[in-house]
Amino acid sequence: MDTAILIDEIIGEELLEAGATVIGYASVGKFLHDDIAHLGMAISIGVGRNLNKGTLALLGELQRKASRILRESGYRYLCIPPDSDRVKDTFVSKLYPLFAHKLAATSSGIGWIGKNGLLINREFGPRLSLATVLTNAPLSAGTPIEFSECGDCSLCVKHCPSGAITGELWSRYDPYVRLINTDKCSAQKKNTKGLSDKPNCGLCITICPYGRRVMKENVQMALS
Amino acid sequence: MATEEKKAAIFEKLRDAVINYDEDLAAEGAQEALDAGLDANDAIFNGLVNGMEEVGRLFEAQEYFVPEILMCADALYKGLEILKPHVKKMDLGVRGSVVIGTVEGDVHDIGKNIVKMMFDVAGFTVYDLGRDVPLDNFVSEQMRTESDLVCLSAMMTTTMAGMKKVIDDLKAKNPNVKIMIGGSPVSQGVAEKWGADGYAKDASNALKDALEMVASLKRLKQEAETKVA
Repeated sequence: MDTAILIDEIIGEELLEAGATVIGYASVGKFLHDDIAHLGMAISIGVGRNLNKGTLALLGELQRKASRILRESGYRYLCIPPDSDRVKDTFVSKLYPLFAHKLAATSSGIGWIGKNGLLINREFGPRLSLATVLTNAPLSAGTPIEFSECGDCSLCVKHCPSGAITGELWSRYDPYVRLINTDKCSAQKKNTKGLSDKPNCGLCITICPYGRRVMKENVQMALS
Repeated sequence: MATEEKKAAIFEKLRDAVINYDEDLAAEGAQEALDAGLDANDAIFNGLVNGMEEVGRLFEAQEYFVPEILMCADALYKGLEILKPHVKKMDLGVRGSVVIGTVEGDVHDIGKNIVKMMFDVAGFTVYDLGRDVPLDNFVSEQMRTESDLVCLSAMMTTTMAGMKKVIDDLKAKNPNVKIMIGGSPVSQGVAEKWGADGYAKDASNALKDALEMVASLKRLKQEAETKVA
């Protein structure tokens, strides 16, 4: 019996049923810091909703489901929460900066890094919220995406109100290319208020043509 | 009152929760312990700490690595949060008050936090000064709180030199104060040369030392109990 395929299937099925939009598996061991390198496989979980409390709670719940399955099968795991930069009150949160969700997502083939610096999925565009579970379970890794598929599209570059997007194309082999001027981006974000009266911008998400069809369908469904 | 079997099952649950870094199970076990009317101290030492001792062993055997240790510590804290308000003040015959911090110029505090947790568990009052602590603050805080134990941590050769100054100042002001130092650049030799009373090399050794300390506290507690009984 091939347990590797089995545990993939169990986790994937359960998480999709519980509300995950996409699930990817990646082998990331060679990119990891020594302290976490023994957990060399990653489960990348994407939820295609607007970033709000509900999305965070759902991702947390999905991580708990995945870790329960892994534990029951005798495997180790480390959950990196979606808002890992904000969680600081636990011991293990010290390790979160050692890992980036986008690494797992591109390595598992969920998407590439767009000109706007966000993970772009072919179907949902930049409209995914990500969480990762690292584990030592033998998962069948997906095919990594190694180059940007943004092509000539520069909508986000043109529409960025602060001119923060450089327009460079991402590639896994060029990790130090600057895609975003983060100072400009955060300065802009501070000065723009969303409907909730919180600092917000997100035009580079709204404008991205990838995934707009799905978004429109969702809006129409919500309206009808 | 809970039967011995039930008691053992709850201890086992708390122990497993820590070893398997299962926060939900730790919370569940802690609540069960309270519902069954168990002594909170018992639940902490025979359940949670017992589990952490096994975690220390797994770490030494290189079964567990840093992330597992940290997650186990989180699970322990989860249980501790629930049990701690019900802990009756322990009379251990030792003054349980400690000042702890990472010295000036140094922001590494994982090891310090794990040691702090073990002091917490052992029922000490912990005055955590945090990281990058100005050297004089250790002395003034020790004087203010009249703690008889001060723990200093440093991860860099450039910052560890600050420990010597703190040790000298503390010993000059108060010769009875006990000082423990730790961090990867520190050695037993350095500790002896500088006049520190205890030494822990890194997080794993600090954990081990702290565990030994907790174990000796446990012995003291048991002795105190047998004397009463």
